[in-house]
Amino acid sequence: MRNPLTKRLPRELRTGLGKYAVIFIAITGMIAFVSGFLVASNSMVTAYHDSFETYRIEDGNIEFSEIPDEETLNALADGKLDFYENFYKEEPTAEVDSTLRIFRKRTQVDLECLMSGAFPASADEIAIDRLYAENNGLSVGDTLTVARQKLTVSGFVALTDYSALFSSAADMMFDAKRFGVAIMTDEGYDAIRDTHLHFSYAWVWCDKPADDRAAKKLSDGFLEHVADTLKAKAEADAEAAVRAAMERGEDPAAVRMPDFLTVENYIPAFSNQAIIFAGDDMSGDAMMFTIFLYILVAIIAFIMAVTASNTITAEANVIGTLRATGYSRAALTRHYMIMPVAVTLVAAIIGNVLGYTLLKEHMAAMYYNSYCLTTYKTLWNADALIETTVIPVILMVLINFLVIRSKMRLSPLKFMRGELSTSRRRKAFRLNTKIPIMHRFRLRVLFQNLPNYLVLAFGIFLANFVLLFGVMFEPMLANIRDTIVDNMIADYQYMLKTPEEAEEESAEKFQFCTLQTPEGRLPAEGVSVFGFPQDSRYCPAKPDGSAVVISNCYAEKHRVSVGDTVTLEEQYSDGSYQFRVSDVVYYPAGLAVFMTDTQFCEVFDREPDYYTGYFSDKPLSSLDEDNVAACITASDMTKVSDQLMRSMGSIAQGFQVFAVIMFLLLMYLLAKIIIERNSQAISMTKILGYSNREISSLYSTATTVVVLVSVVGTVFLCNSLMEYVLHVAMSRYPGWYEYIADYRQLGLMIVLGLCSYLIISALLMLKIRRIPMSDALKHQE
Amino acid sequence: MFLEISGIRKSFGEGESRVEVLRGIDVGIEKGEFCVLLGPSGSGKSTLLNIIGGIDSADSGYIAINGEKTADMNDRALTRYRRRHLGYIFQMYNLIPNLNIKENVEVGAYLSEKPLNTDEILKTLGLYEHRHKLPNQLSGGQQQRTAIGRAIVKNPDILLCDEPTGALDYNTSKEILKLIEEVNQKYGCTVIMVTHNAAIAGMADRVIKLRDGQIRKNTRNEHKIPASELDW
Repeated sequence: MRNPLTKRLPRELRTGLGKYAVIFIAITGMIAFVSGFLVASNSMVTAYHDSFETYRIEDGNIEFSEIPDEETLNALADGKLDFYENFYKEEPTAEVDSTLRIFRKRTQVDLECLMSGAFPASADEIAIDRLYAENNGLSVGDTLTVARQKLTVSGFVALTDYSALFSSAADMMFDAKRFGVAIMTDEGYDAIRDTHLHFSYAWVWCDKPADDRAAKKLSDGFLEHVADTLKAKAEADAEAAVRAAMERGEDPAAVRMPDFLTVENYIPAFSNQAIIFAGDDMSGDAMMFTIFLYILVAIIAFIMAVTASNTITAEANVIGTLRATGYSRAALTRHYMIMPVAVTLVAAIIGNVLGYTLLKEHMAAMYYNSYCLTTYKTLWNADALIETTVIPVILMVLINFLVIRSKMRLSPLKFMRGELSTSRRRKAFRLNTKIPIMHRFRLRVLFQNLPNYLVLAFGIFLANFVLLFGVMFEPMLANIRDTIVDNMIADYQYMLKTPEEAEEESAEKFQFCTLQTPEGRLPAEGVSVFGFPQDSRYCPAKPDGSAVVISNCYAEKHRVSVGDTVTLEEQYSDGSYQFRVSDVVYYPAGLAVFMTDTQFCEVFDREPDYYTGYFSDKPLSSLDEDNVAACITASDMTKVSDQLMRSMGSIAQGFQVFAVIMFLLLMYLLAKIIIERNSQAISMTKILGYSNREISSLYSTATTVVVLVSVVGTVFLCNSLMEYVLHVAMSRYPGWYEYIADYRQLGLMIVLGLCSYLIISALLMLKIRRIPMSDALKHQE
Repeated sequence: MFLEISGIRKSFGEGESRVEVLRGIDVGIEKGEFCVLLGPSGSGKSTLLNIIGGIDSADSGYIAINGEKTADMNDRALTRYRRRHLGYIFQMYNLIPNLNIKENVEVGAYLSEKPLNTDEILKTLGLYEHRHKLPNQLSGGQQQRTAIGRAIVKNPDILLCDEPTGALDYNTSKEILKLIEEVNQKYGCTVIMVTHNAAIAGMADRVIKLRDGQIRKNTRNEHKIPASELDW
């Protein structure tokens, strides 16, 4: 015979419709979101990983100062790898404020994926990166002027060696608006001027390393081999030059040495952010969202379990009778578990369906908005099903089982007598009787519901953390942006290919090179080293000639103080330098070392009149445009914050909405439990003559205090935690941004939290008002 | 007339399942009177008590205390009415479980402008030494005494008792009845007690017998029996 208790379930659903609807919507929404995200993410991550083979992504690339001859290339390859010419030209675009890195269409390595339109077929056609095009509002068929040539956009492509548009390995973040990549036909490519031509070679190992560790070992060995080979070649070239001079009867000491072949850039694929960043980021996001789902389900499971526990208390008499007539403890435990588990299961199924159908494309679009990914196929994801259905249901079952089972342990007699407290013989703790009774009443409510309030406080903490991310993101980036712009050394920073005198008075020479920090607690990363004249107009620091001044970013990230000695290394050779730090200067743009020009030339063994470029407050039109390797302006300095704003801005808003929903959900469910648990006492106080306002104040004050303390307290706790999390997160990336708490945003969080509670307290007031006085007559204590 | 009950009718349910519980109750109760509503289950006595207490409302008719009709009162006024005039004692005590004994009594005292001394009430009720305990640590009799304390501490005009001994054993029941009798005599409050135990009617000034929602008998006891001498 069918268990007659199951007939109660539809009634239970009807009476608790509001509660179950809220829980159902919350779980369905979260599971749909996470499921859609996991499916899209898994499909895209798989497509991303497959692309290494499908599109033959390089194992690394190396850029030389000039084209190496065949013999040198062979010596460098040493039979262990194959080089592929992968030259590119970088040119500004006329229609949009950006730089385009143009390659020939590659055929052997780093193949392109056509996203829409067509590959370029003639010299006046160009296929550009899809994301770069979208960010700049470009369409297929548009005209783009590059190096004074009008080109037609034939299509959008994804360059697999630029899934994240990092223009340099030293960049903390890519900029998919002001930097793009493109391909042209051989004829088209050749027609672009060679002014900004880079002699880059991609390499592919003959024997693929098994993992990143093996790849690193191979790469380190290769870099050493390159350094040795080029050194030997330079020595041989120098010797040959001297020998030739002697043969010509010239003074060997006055002989002009040839330009030696040097390495300008070297980056193995495993550390190339342009290749690996997207993959790392996609995997990390999935983990974060899944953990959020589990926490939310655990909180809801706890709420359901407490609700069930209260129902058991209210129905103790009936349970006792049923147990006495032969219903087993397990049968009743199952009965009280059915609703929460069924709601979760149905929510999970519907959530998954929504995730696979409606939300998957939105989630994929989120990635396509940030990264230049190839096309993908939706893959059935068993892990996603386990993570979004099996685990939430298990959590719900487990938490409810533990709570309900422990409640059901009592004997039938105890149930019938209503003796459900396990601490029957313990006295109530004493409160000072000088405290007015109403305050003591509120304190008792607080202590009675302490576990609920702890969960509420924890939930508010989580919601606030999500909210903090949502509200602080844009102001923080805007703040960073403004601070960087306000603290720029000069409005224009010209990097020259060869020395050239500028005519403008505003121009001031400087020296520049990039060193790197040694690998240690933090990974090695580039540090900009500047040399300035002693009486510089632009230098933010006042180096004294014997020691150096470092930027605050360097000091904070690497924990360097005044008086310390720092060691910096050459990036592509074994040169190492030590500098004593005499001061720390506020320079938020990045890790930098400032020294005098004299010191710079001494340290790096340069001629006294050596310089790299100019700083200027005005554009330097007197310089030969072809001789300018780069002109760095405010927009270049702020590309990190700008890109983060573009790719994460909408997510940040989503976080705000999610946090407010979480606030409302938790506050409503937990405060409702407290009211329901005390409905009989509330009913009795009504009979005694307490007004609804007085009763609300008795039963809501504790909740109000907990909410107030939690909202305000956890805002500051979250702020500290966020500072720490960002600190740790930024340690993994090159560069440094200090976390600046915007107190207006923290205030906004408090306001949002309290406004949410205002809505909930109005609902609770209504709920208290609706409790009938007859409740006191119906139930037993 | 201190308490006037006039033409009270009350029914529950609709259509075929409609049951008329009170069918025109008319009665007047004097101040300080001890009145017992006696009747079998389903006679309507508890419903009448709830209507007097403002917990439930009548379909027609009115309750007036000192000429003030409860039917004319809005929610706020009804709350004030209960607060000023009434004390309630239930069969199942209905104490607030998370407050200790003293606090449960103080909850009643808070509502009065001139409450009685809580500690003295606790001593009178023999609960002083248990004042820090929670209700579930006390016996049924002790819990009912606490409920009496909570009801009388605010010195109400009317004490409504709904089967106050219904869940208690004989000796404890007599103790409770003695207490209620004492309260009636000491503080002069009107007591209306619902019971189905005919023996208890002996201690009342007036006995109103109800059956099928109507008053079958309304008599004054010429010879009241003290609670201590009741036997059943």
